[in-house]
Amino acid sequence: MSDDRAFVEWREVTKSFGGKAVLKGMNLAVAKGEVMYIIGTSGVGKSVTIKLLLGLLRIDGGEILFDGQRVDTLPESKLAPLRKRIGMVFQSSTLFDSMTLAENVGLPLRKHGKLGHHASLVEAKKRLEQVYMGEYAERYPAELSDGMRKRAAIARTLALNPEVVLFDEPTTGLDPVSARRVDRLIRELAEKLGVTAIVVSHDPPSIFGVADRVAFLYKGLVHVVATPAELKASPDPIVQQFIGGKSTGPMETPGF
Amino acid sequence: MTWVRTRIENLGAGVASVYRAAIELWLVYVGTIAGLFRRGRNSPRGELTRQLYSIGNKSLVFIIVTLGMIGMVMTYEACMQLSRVTGDYSQVGMQFLRLIISDMGPTLTALMLATRVGAGIAAEVGSMKVTEQIDALRMSGVLPIDYLIVPRFLASWIMTLMLSVIGATVMYAAGGLTAQYNFGVNPNTFFDLSQIRPRHVILFLVKASSYGAAIPVVAGFCGLRARGSSEGVGWATTAAVIGASFAVITLDFIISAAALFLTGGDL
Repeated sequence: MSDDRAFVEWREVTKSFGGKAVLKGMNLAVAKGEVMYIIGTSGVGKSVTIKLLLGLLRIDGGEILFDGQRVDTLPESKLAPLRKRIGMVFQSSTLFDSMTLAENVGLPLRKHGKLGHHASLVEAKKRLEQVYMGEYAERYPAELSDGMRKRAAIARTLALNPEVVLFDEPTTGLDPVSARRVDRLIRELAEKLGVTAIVVSHDPPSIFGVADRVAFLYKGLVHVVATPAELKASPDPIVQQFIGGKSTGPMETPGF
Repeated sequence: MTWVRTRIENLGAGVASVYRAAIELWLVYVGTIAGLFRRGRNSPRGELTRQLYSIGNKSLVFIIVTLGMIGMVMTYEACMQLSRVTGDYSQVGMQFLRLIISDMGPTLTALMLATRVGAGIAAEVGSMKVTEQIDALRMSGVLPIDYLIVPRFLASWIMTLMLSVIGATVMYAAGGLTAQYNFGVNPNTFFDLSQIRPRHVILFLVKASSYGAAIPVVAGFCGLRARGSSEGVGWATTAAVIGASFAVITLDFIISAAALFLTGGDL
């Protein structure tokens, strides 16, 4: 499947770990400004898919394109410009424990944005204020709640004004209110700033409340790509079992 | 014949895995050396000072106590054996000092540091790996080796040298006191430095420097290979202690052999 309008595209991508194939020739195209959700059971390769785009993991076969350019062949030393244009919010926030929130947010501004130490901290505080975390700029991650850490991690990712933001299970582990705030933030990024968002998620309210389209990953392939409404109406029993959260059905889930 | 084929395949996979690990270890080492020249740009502020304190100051008591005890036991055993044979203790201090400077001082200090420092580095780097902080560093435009391994490498190198000097001194002093109080050896006889030659001191410095450089690289490499969750960090920590200790002993063997070769056996 090839798409001329695709801003980000995975073509026939394969990836194995220790001889176990996780992705078996998956194809997916995401348009500019789109909010694409990638859903599927645990271990199906959702996080792997987005890490492959950034070169954090390497593909075994196929190709990955961003803005018309092939990126899977870039060596680590040439990935910095790509990682400036594509940001990622990791599942566990991944703030650096030994740094304050301002230093955390300031780090990419110093390294990618070439700001000085002091200038990066000033800019970082502004970024933290945008996610209502300005008053915690001097605090360390360990002193804060999961939701606050997530917001700071989002501020760090957005500090470089990326064109694409990848979210790896952004609402997992958050209380419902914080989770919906994150959802709203994702939607605002797309609508106000035109940011393309690719979100890995298990969270139904988030999927059906925010996504423009949803890619359902199953057995190492994209089983279906559809709008949330189409997905709900899908006659496919596998899709229905997953979105309905039913323990019995045609779906094969390794380990269970 | 399937089982034969399976065994050959398993053996081949094992060899390939060791080969890959060796290449990765080499890349971490080369990356660390290259990182030393990029230090100003990539290391976090004050990190070297923090690591010097963590690796050096916090290991001081541990090194003094362990090497002091080993010094006592070794001198006691040597004097005990001599008392059964000749009863002449005049050479004990001199030979003990040669042994400490050319081998025991730096090697035992490094073995102690391999456990404490190696485990610490692997646990810290490993937990950053499994919680995706290493990936987050890469996303922030930072090379993880520059950021994590280089300051630890410098700190370990400096502090292994300093702690080896301290450890050797304590070992020698503890041995001298044991010889004096248990066997009546005159301190002037024991603390005789006349047999020490520059080649002993050079050997001491070469060994201590090599150990100090090897421990953080091996431990950092183990940490960077951590997979999964806390179990992966545990594995990395164990592997780091074994790997760093093994590296120290292997380097000891190689450097000692090279020294013997270069001096024509007159060490």
